[in-house]
Amino acid sequence: MSLKQVSESKIIKNQLLFKLNSFTGVFTSMLALQLLAIFMSYYGSSSMGGGGVYGISYTFSYYSANVVIAFTFLWIFVNSILITTRAYKEDDFHFVTNRMTQNLSNILFLFVASLIGAVTAMLSSFLVKILIYFFKATKGNYLAVDLNALEWFTGLAATILILFMLGSFGYFIGILVQWYKKLAIILPVVLIGTVMALASQGHYILPEIIEFYFMEHSFIVFLLKVIGSAGVLFAAAILISNQQEVRK
Amino acid sequence: MNVIECKQLVKMQRNQKTLDHVNFSIKENTITGLIGRNGAGKTTLLKIIAGYWRKTAGDINVFGVNPFNSLFVSANTIFVDDQMSFSNSLSLLDLLEEAGRFYPNWDMSLAKRLFDYFGFLPNQIHENLSKGKKSTFNMIIGLAAHCPLTIFDEPTTGMDVSVRKDFYRALLKDYLEHPRTIIISSHHLEEVEDLLEDILLIKDGRVHLHLTVDGFKEYAVGLRGNSALIYQLVNEEDVLYTNRVGGEYVIVKNTFSHQQAKRLGLEISPVTPNDLCVYLTNTTKGGIDDVFKTS
Repeated sequence: MSLKQVSESKIIKNQLLFKLNSFTGVFTSMLALQLLAIFMSYYGSSSMGGGGVYGISYTFSYYSANVVIAFTFLWIFVNSILITTRAYKEDDFHFVTNRMTQNLSNILFLFVASLIGAVTAMLSSFLVKILIYFFKATKGNYLAVDLNALEWFTGLAATILILFMLGSFGYFIGILVQWYKKLAIILPVVLIGTVMALASQGHYILPEIIEFYFMEHSFIVFLLKVIGSAGVLFAAAILISNQQEVRK
Repeated sequence: MNVIECKQLVKMQRNQKTLDHVNFSIKENTITGLIGRNGAGKTTLLKIIAGYWRKTAGDINVFGVNPFNSLFVSANTIFVDDQMSFSNSLSLLDLLEEAGRFYPNWDMSLAKRLFDYFGFLPNQIHENLSKGKKSTFNMIIGLAAHCPLTIFDEPTTGMDVSVRKDFYRALLKDYLEHPRTIIISSHHLEEVEDLLEDILLIKDGRVHLHLTVDGFKEYAVGLRGNSALIYQLVNEEDVLYTNRVGGEYVIVKNTFSHQQAKRLGLEISPVTPNDLCVYLTNTTKGGIDDVFKTS
């Protein structure tokens, strides 16, 4: 029987399609989390009241899809760890793969997941507004929508990028844990321990990280920071997993 | 052409040598039976050949390259065992289609015919199948992939007798139509014996014997008769097994003169490959009965 050469790009494409077909749990969990978050956005909101002058009083209630986006962040992080676990990893090895194509198709999958997660999360803000329009903006309540197309699209792009970066972080952690199982306990202890130890010294690292990524005014710099971080994390994950044995 | 070449291959697992300087080569378009006791290193060897595990030392070449991390070897090799677990979100039919997308020689028509013959339903889920059914489905994937190197590691686990027979027959028929290199590891040599061309017997992580099936059948014979006469004829180190019930009976390497044996009045009988394997790979001293003799 003649030997067949296969191209890496074709295998990666097939693996991506396979993953989109078979990792349905990733997307159903996203749907469930986002619906829950939409529900929370509809009911919980920050309010500010005032008035009393001339017998007029008012209350501002702010509704946003921020909870949905926060939940989507959590979702991508958890699921990027999940796809490094045994059952997901072995799926590829029943068919044609090597560790490189597997990693690359996983990265592409995380990018597609970031795209889908970001689009649904951003669109959910409209759903919240529509719900409020129909059910809350009645009897003397008014709905004011602050919408700017450019801002919305910038927000979408930023959400995609942040999801992708969080995905790379989760993927890196997942690969580390697959490489050395005890890190599942050591890593959280060390990470949380460091943050707390630094905080007790008056050095708050989490706000600094958030500031580093989120308070960036220039979109290009933000893009470079996020893609750079994701690139480093993915490269490290590939290096570690490239020598790992499968189907133990 | 040699499809697999192994030179001084060593695999260490947790400071234990599971493969200890293994040397052998497997020719193109042959069916080889990999035979050995539990824990002899069969699965370790097959997983290294399939590129799943790394070698520790020595050389392993599959299609002329190191199989670990080779996309080329992966595309031309399929490894089937009872540990294969497929995604729950795909039906059996989806899985066949996915496999077809990956394997360049995939034969969908054969896959569907076997699928129907063994009574699978298109929307069943792999995880919900019984053990034997899982093995049967994995076997279908293994056969239909038509990979130049097809590896079955204990493929018949859980299968009932008639499915086993069907499987071996299907394997043989498909092999004749599409010759390729096949390795089957099994505990049941008597079942696969008629299928095999070569036997690779491993014991304690080493290649004990690598012979054609005919060579294996002639490797040893049984001798019955007077003990003194037997040991006059053969060297003691060539004796693989001794049974003293009802006169001396030994199984001995076939290196002595049969004519002389007949002259001495010794009875020569053939040994089945399966029995021979049992005697060759016997690692324990005495038998299971000795375990229960506490005093």
